[in-house]
Amino acid sequence: MSAKQVAYSNVPAKINQTDPLIFFNAVYAAYEKAETASGSSIEHFYCIGGFTVRLCFAGPALLPYMTPALAHLAIEPIPDPTLTICLWDSTSTHTLMPPPPWQADDYRERGEIRGFNNERIHTTFQVGPNALSILDAERNLAIYWVKTTKQIPYWETGSPLRTIFHVWMSQQGVQLIHAGAVGVPSGGVLLVGKGGSGKSTTALSCLNSELFYASDDYCLLAPEPTPTVFSIYSTGKKNADDVQRLPFLTSLISNRDRLDSEKALYFLNEHFPKKILPSFPLRAILIPQVTGQTETTLKAASPAAGLSALAPSTIFQLSGAGRTAFQGMGKIIKQLPCYYLNLGTDVAQIPDVILGLLTKD
Amino acid sequence: MTQSKSFRINSPKVVRETIDGEVVIVNLDNGHYYSLVSAGADIWDGIERGISRDNLIEEMTQQYDGSREALECALESFIEELEQEELIVLEQTDALTRINSSGEQPNISKEKVSFEPPVLQKYTDMEELLILDPIHDVDETGWPRAKQVEA
Repeated sequence: MSAKQVAYSNVPAKINQTDPLIFFNAVYAAYEKAETASGSSIEHFYCIGGFTVRLCFAGPALLPYMTPALAHLAIEPIPDPTLTICLWDSTSTHTLMPPPPWQADDYRERGEIRGFNNERIHTTFQVGPNALSILDAERNLAIYWVKTTKQIPYWETGSPLRTIFHVWMSQQGVQLIHAGAVGVPSGGVLLVGKGGSGKSTTALSCLNSELFYASDDYCLLAPEPTPTVFSIYSTGKKNADDVQRLPFLTSLISNRDRLDSEKALYFLNEHFPKKILPSFPLRAILIPQVTGQTETTLKAASPAAGLSALAPSTIFQLSGAGRTAFQGMGKIIKQLPCYYLNLGTDVAQIPDVILGLLTKD
Repeated sequence: MTQSKSFRINSPKVVRETIDGEVVIVNLDNGHYYSLVSAGADIWDGIERGISRDNLIEEMTQQYDGSREALECALESFIEELEQEELIVLEQTDALTRINSSGEQPNISKEKVSFEPPVLQKYTDMEELLILDPIHDVDETGWPRAKQVEA
C-alpha cells in the first residue's frame, strides 16, 4: 500500500447526519485530535470590538497567516474570554477532517452551506482559502479549518476569520462593515463605497498626517450608546498599479514579489503602531469619489447615498448579512452627516480635508 | 364586491429604508439595489402603507400638478417596473377591505408639486458577489479540491 493509500485509508467516516450541531461537534472532536497530534495548543488573546477573544492554534502552522492583522489588538491572557476560535490545518497536524455531510450543490452564495445554518450554528466554506468556518453561538465557540496553509491567499491573511467575526459580532449587536475608518481619538469618519472608489488610498494617506488609522477595508460598527467604530485589522491593501500614490509606503509592501497577481499588502502595526486607533466615536460618513481634479473637496450627500454606498457591499460580501444588518446600518446613518469626498490627485490634501471636517465647530 | 389592485413589498428578500424622503431598496437574492426619490418615493410609501392603486392615484392627484391620465399612466408603468424587478408583488383584496385599511395618510401639502415621472435607479455592480463558484471537484476526503497552489 502506498503512503497516500495509507493516509486516505484513515479518512474519518462520513457523518450521515444533517444536524448542524452534530457536524460541529465532530469538527471540534477533530480539532482536539489535531491539538493532541501537534503536541501543543498555542493561545493568543485579543480585545476586538470591546469583546475578549481567544485564538487557540493546534500547532504553529496557521500563526503567520492569522495573527499579524490582529496584532494591534493583542492583550495578555485572560481566564474567560467571550469568544474562542480554534484553528487547525490537516497537513501540519496530520489530522484529517471528517468528510462534509452535504452535497456539492449545497455550497451556496457567500460560502454558506445549505442546511447547516440555523440560529445556533453557522457553517460556511470559503472557496479560495478552501476554509471551513463554523460557529456555535450558544457556546461562543468557533472553528476554522484548512487542509493546508498553502492555499491561504494574501487577502485572507489581510482580513482573517472575517466570517466568524462577522456572524458572532452581529449576534452581539456589532456589525462588521465594508468601510475604511480614520479619525482622531475624539471622533472619526467612515469611508464607504465599493472597491475602487478610493477608500484604501484615502485611509492609507492618513498614516502620513495628524489623523489616525482604524481600517481601509473592514471595521466594526457599534450603534450604542453612540455610534462607535472599532478597528479589527491593522492591514491595508492597494492595487499594485497604484502604489506610487503612496510613496512613503513603498518599502513596506509585504508581498512585493507577487504584485503581478496580488494587491500590495501592508502590515501597518509593524511600522505605524502608534498611528492605529482601536476605536473612536463616529462623526460622519464620507463617500470617496475619484475626480481627476487636483484639489480634494467635500460636498454634502444625502444619508440615502451613504447607505447605498455602505450597505450593499457589506451585505453581499459577508455571510449571514441581510435584513438586520441593513436596518442597523440605516439606523446609524440616519444619525450622521454624509459627504462626498471628492478626491484630488494631490494625495497629501486628503487627510487635511478630513481633519478640517472633524475639527470644525 | 369588486376587486381592487394593491401590492405589498416582496419581503423577506427585499429590504428597504426611507431616509429624508429617499428610499434605498436592496434585493437580497440577486445583489441588485435601487434608489427612489420624489414621485417614486411617494408611490413606494403608498405601497408600504398598503393602499390600493385607486387610492394611490387619488393621493398623487392631490400632491402633483398633472392630468389624472398622465399620473395614471406613469403610475401603471412604474408599478409594472417594480413588479418586473420583483420588488413588489400583487396582493388582491376586495374593495371593502381596501376602504377600511387605507393606511396612515401622508402629510399632503396644499400646494401641488410639479410632476416628474418616477424613476427607479438600479445598480447591479454587486451582483457578481453572489455568483456561485460551483464545486465540481472534490478530493479523496470529500472536500473541494484546491485550485493551483502558489509557491
